[in-house]
Amino acid sequence: MKLGIISFAHMHAYSYARALQDLDGVELCGISDENEARGREAAAKFGVTYFADYNALLSEDIDAVIVTSENVNHHKHVLAAAKAGKHVLCEKPLGTTLEEMKEMVNVCRENGVKLQTAFPVRFNTSIQQGKKIIEEGKLGRIIAMKGTNRGTNPGGWFVIKSLSGGGAVMDHTVHVVDIMRWFMNAEVTEVYAEAGQFFSDQIDDCGLLTMEFDNGVFATLDCSWSRNKAYPTWGDVTLEVIGTEGTIFIDAFGQKLNVYSDSSGANWHYWGDDMDAGLVKDFIECIKEDREPSITGEDGLKAVEVALAAYKAAEQKSPVKLTILK
Amino acid sequence: MQHVLVIGAGTMGTVHASSYAKMENVELAGIVDIRKQIGGPLAAKLNTNYFTSFEEAVTQLPRIDVIDVCLPTYLHKKYVLKAADLGKHVICEKPLARTKEDAKEMISYCKEKGVKLFVGHVLRFFPEYVKAKEIIDKNEIGKPAMARTTRGGIFPTAWNDWYADYKNSGGLVLDMIIHDIDFLRWCFGDVKRVYAKSVLGRSFNRIDYALLTLRFENGMIAHVEGTWAHEGFSTYLEIAGDNGIIEFDSKKEKSIYAQIRQKENGGGVAVPSSPLKENPYYQELAHFMECIENDCEPIVSAEDAFKAVEISLAALESIETGKVVEIKPSLTHA
Ligand SMILES: NC(=O)c1ccc[n+]([C@@H]2O[C@H](COP(=O)([O-])OP(=O)(O)OC[C@H]3O[C@@H](n4cnc5c(N)ncnc54)[C@H](O)[C@@H]3O)[C@@H](O)[C@H]2O)c1
Repeated sequence: MKLGIISFAHMHAYSYARALQDLDGVELCGISDENEARGREAAAKFGVTYFADYNALLSEDIDAVIVTSENVNHHKHVLAAAKAGKHVLCEKPLGTTLEEMKEMVNVCRENGVKLQTAFPVRFNTSIQQGKKIIEEGKLGRIIAMKGTNRGTNPGGWFVIKSLSGGGAVMDHTVHVVDIMRWFMNAEVTEVYAEAGQFFSDQIDDCGLLTMEFDNGVFATLDCSWSRNKAYPTWGDVTLEVIGTEGTIFIDAFGQKLNVYSDSSGANWHYWGDDMDAGLVKDFIECIKEDREPSITGEDGLKAVEVALAAYKAAEQKSPVKLTILK
Repeated sequence: MQHVLVIGAGTMGTVHASSYAKMENVELAGIVDIRKQIGGPLAAKLNTNYFTSFEEAVTQLPRIDVIDVCLPTYLHKKYVLKAADLGKHVICEKPLARTKEDAKEMISYCKEKGVKLFVGHVLRFFPEYVKAKEIIDKNEIGKPAMARTTRGGIFPTAWNDWYADYKNSGGLVLDMIIHDIDFLRWCFGDVKRVYAKSVLGRSFNRIDYALLTLRFENGMIAHVEGTWAHEGFSTYLEIAGDNGIIEFDSKKEKSIYAQIRQKENGGGVAVPSSPLKENPYYQELAHFMECIENDCEPIVSAEDAFKAVEISLAALESIETGKVVEIKPSLTHA
C-alpha cells in the first residue's frame, strides 16, 4: 500500500510518518508541503519525494494520504484527496466550521473514499482497557465523567486564528470528547464553557467545558494549555469515570520514568505503548479490509461541534444546546 | 482560660472536644449530645461533663465562655442563636447555615448580642493549603489562571443519616466542597459566576458527585470536584499560573506507609498516612481561642463563611436550573 502525507504543519506528521515506515507492506511515497523548506526537510528525513503542489502528490499512484496541515486547510486538502480517489486520515480537529466538515464527509462518501479522523487517544492501551471495563458493565451505570487534556501553548500557526480556527478550546476539546462519546456511545446535547487568555495575548489558552450527554451523564473537560516550561511533561490526557458500581481513573500517559537531569531539568519520560502507531495501523487495516473507519468523519465533526458550542457558550455566558446530526 | 461547651458528640464534636481537652489554657467544660451512648463515653474519656441537652448544660455548668456547635447543619442556626442569647462566643462548624437568610441572621444576631462568631473553615489551617497560598502570594507561580480542586470519598454516615437528607445538609456541594470554595475565595477573591452539575435530581442512591465551574472577579477559572462516589477520602489541589504550577494529590503525598503482616491469612493491609503533631482542627480551634483571648480578627471571618455558603448555594441553584448563576456583589454583604 502506498501513502502520501499532505503538509508537515502539524507535528504529528512526523510520528505518523515514522509509524508508516515501521509497517510491513506500507510505503510512504511522497510528502507535499506549501512550506518548501519544511517539506524538503521532511522528505529528506524520511527518504521520499517532495511535492510542492499537493495536487501533484495526489496524481501519483498512491492509495491514501494523511492530512496534517493547519486546521483551516484540512477542508481543501481532504476534498482534493477525495476527488482524486485517495482515502484520507485527517488530523484533528477535522475542520473549523460545521459546513466545511459536512462537505468533507459528503465528498468522501460520494467519491467512495474512507475518511478517518485522527483521534490516536482511542489507541492508548489504558484508554482501551477503560473502555473494556465499562463495556463489561463493571462500573454499573455511568453517572459522570471528568476529563483533562492539558498542554503547552504550541505557538506557531496554532495561535493564529485564521489558520487554527481557535486556541486551546479548538485544539484540546476534541480528543477527550471523542473518548467520552466512544466510551458511552452517547452524544453531547448541551455545552457550557468558560474560556480565557492567560498565558499570552494571542488566542484562548484556557478552557473548562461542562457537557450533558443524551444518556443523562454529565461531564467536564479542562482543555487548557496550562502546562508551563518547568512542568516535567508536555501535558496530559486523563479521564475519571463515575459509575453506580465503581469508578475508574485513567492517566493515559501515566506510564513514565521521572528523570532529574542537571542539563535538562525534571522530565517525565513516557514508556507506554505508542498510540500514534496504533492509529496509523488501524487506518491501513481499514483500507485493506475495506471496512468502515473505526473513527469516522462524523466522529471528527461531532467532537468539533462541541468545541464550537463551547466558544459560543463562553461568549454568551450561557449553555448552548446542540441540535444537528442525531 | 476559656471554658468551652461542645454541642454534638458526633464526628466533628469528637474532634473538637478532643482538641480542647489537649489545650493547656482551655477548659473543656462539657459535652452535649442527645445520644447518651455517644456523648457519655466521649465525655468520660475526655474527663469532662456530659449533658443530654443544651438547656441542661447551660443551667448546670458554673462557667461557660464559648459554645461550640458541632450539630448537623440544619440545627446550626437554632443553637448559635441560643448561645448568643446567653452572651457566649460561638464557634460553629461549616457550613454556617443551610440557607443564606439563616447565615445572615446568625451573623447579625451575634453582632447584636456582642458575641464573636467563628466558623470552622478548617482548610485555612491545613498546612498544604496554607503553603499553597503562601506560594501564590509570593508570586512564585505568577498570575494564577486555572485552579482545580477535588474533595471527597465515600458517602458519609452519621446520626439519623442526616447527610442523605438534602434539605437538611445541602448535600455534597454545601457540605463538602464548600471547603474548597472558601479556600479559593481566600486565595483569589470573590466569585463572579457559577455553573455546576451534580447527581442531584438524577436519583442515585447514596452517591453524590458534583463538578463546578467558578469564574472569579479577577478573571481566573476554577474547577471544583466533589465526590461521595469514591472509596477512601482524598483531596487534590492544582493551581496553574502564568509562571508556574502548584500540584498536590493527597493520594500520592504520604509520609508513612505501614504494612502489618497478618498472622492468620497472610496479606496485611497497607495504611498510608501523613501525620502531623497537631491536626488542623486543633490549630483552627486554638486560633479561635486566641482571637477570643486577645480580641483579634480571625483568619476566617463569619462573612467569609457567609460568602462560601452563598457560592455553594449558587452552585446548587445552577444544578437545579441548568443555568449560569451570577453572584451579585451587592448581595454579598452580610
Ligand atoms: N470541618 C470539617 O471537616 C467537617 C467534617 C465533618 C462534618 N462537618 C460539619 O460538622 C457538623 C456535624 O457533622 P457530623 O459529621 O459531626 O455529624 P454527626 O451526625 O456525626 O454528629 C451530630 C451529633 O449531633 C447529635 N445531636 C443531634 N441533635 C442534637 C441536639 N438537638 N442536641 C444535642 N445533640 C444533638 C447527634 O446525636 C450526633 O451525635 C455538620 O455541620 C457538618 O457539616 C465538618
